[in-house]
Amino acid sequence: MIVDFYKTGSSFLHRFDPRAKLILLVPLFACFFFRVPPSVLVPYCCALIALVAATLGPGELLSPLKAIGPVLVLICLLTPPFHRTGTPLWQVAGVVVVTTDGARETTLMVLRFLGITFGFFAVVRTVSPEDLVLSLRWFRLPYGACLVVLIALRTIPSLVGTWHNVQDAHRLRSAGQERTRKRRLSLGAYMPLLTSVLIEAVKQIPVQAMALESRGYGRRTHRTSFADLPTGPRALRDAFIALGIAMLFVAPAFIPW
Amino acid sequence: MNDERPALSPAFRIASIAILAAVTTVLTRVVQIPTVARGYINLGDVAIVFTALTFGPFSAALSGGLGTALADLLSGPFAFWAPISLVVHGLQGLVVGVIAAARPTNIVVRIIAGVAGMAIVAGGYFVAGGFITGWGPSLVDVPANILQGGVGVVLGILLAIAVARAYPPVRQWKW
Repeated sequence: MIVDFYKTGSSFLHRFDPRAKLILLVPLFACFFFRVPPSVLVPYCCALIALVAATLGPGELLSPLKAIGPVLVLICLLTPPFHRTGTPLWQVAGVVVVTTDGARETTLMVLRFLGITFGFFAVVRTVSPEDLVLSLRWFRLPYGACLVVLIALRTIPSLVGTWHNVQDAHRLRSAGQERTRKRRLSLGAYMPLLTSVLIEAVKQIPVQAMALESRGYGRRTHRTSFADLPTGPRALRDAFIALGIAMLFVAPAFIPW
Repeated sequence: MNDERPALSPAFRIASIAILAAVTTVLTRVVQIPTVARGYINLGDVAIVFTALTFGPFSAALSGGLGTALADLLSGPFAFWAPISLVVHGLQGLVVGVIAAARPTNIVVRIIAGVAGMAIVAGGYFVAGGFITGWGPSLVDVPANILQGGVGVVLGILLAIAVARAYPPVRQWKW
């Protein structure tokens, strides 16, 4: 199981200010919902796919494409029946299968799904967990909330380890009782596993709470920070670039097509 | 170590939300049964129902929303579902916890609470998916979400009972 969403690198997107990248997700998401011709969205989609290939490597394109492939097929199959207005493009035995409006809507949906997927993929894979939390702090998310995110991210890998240890222990315990090794457990067989893992997890809560209190959580004294996001000319440059990119995303909404 | 510390201390609440969010993320990502439109069904709902019944509605809302959002971020291609999961599963945890709190030990009330949560998840993802992938593909995923929710209700209730019996201090940690 992947326990980190960040892929290490030194591309321009990795070095781009994480706050600007996160803010850009909003116009990126919005631009694919504007009522524009599909031809307008094609360059945006291509640019986002090229961005992933350039910053993360062409190999990174396979993972999202494999994951969303079935969804794209489903969109192509199930969108035309819900849009039957316009000129028929394809008829089978007198039944209209695809119309111009259906084809247009299908293309829009495919481009929307592709663009949003690759846009978010590019940003998420180039923002480290530390930068994500620091950015949330900069966006004025309360200190407690950021602490929750940090502790959760830190606890996930150890919980995965606990899960595998408990699974191995249960497997060893029942090794003599089963003649054949089942590949997949039935849902009922997950009960003892889940009970053990949950008890191990909830036992950590008072320990973690004690650790927070011993480190001064809840005190009113001024809080320092081990790390911070860069400020100065570079951050300002990234902010202006992000503004320009956001205007590019939003511009199609104001053009009469 | 005193396991019966008051559950209202801010540090305890922070710790409980964080660790329960991590549990939700792990259960969402460890067992994944692929579906066509949404991506996968998983045991995340089990964690949310368990948290709602054991720790209360606010823990479930915050840890359920955050845990599923982190799981979506970790999935890579489906990262854009993170904000949607944050809201939908947060609402699920809140509703299940609030309804179950009316009669905390009544099994029928717990089932009703779980079913209400199921409806929120299936409806929420249907509406969100309708805008992103279209209503047709989104409709295909409704049975899978209902199945996932049903599994979550059954296992979540059983786990709440089992964990409370095996580790009694957890009964005092509801807030």
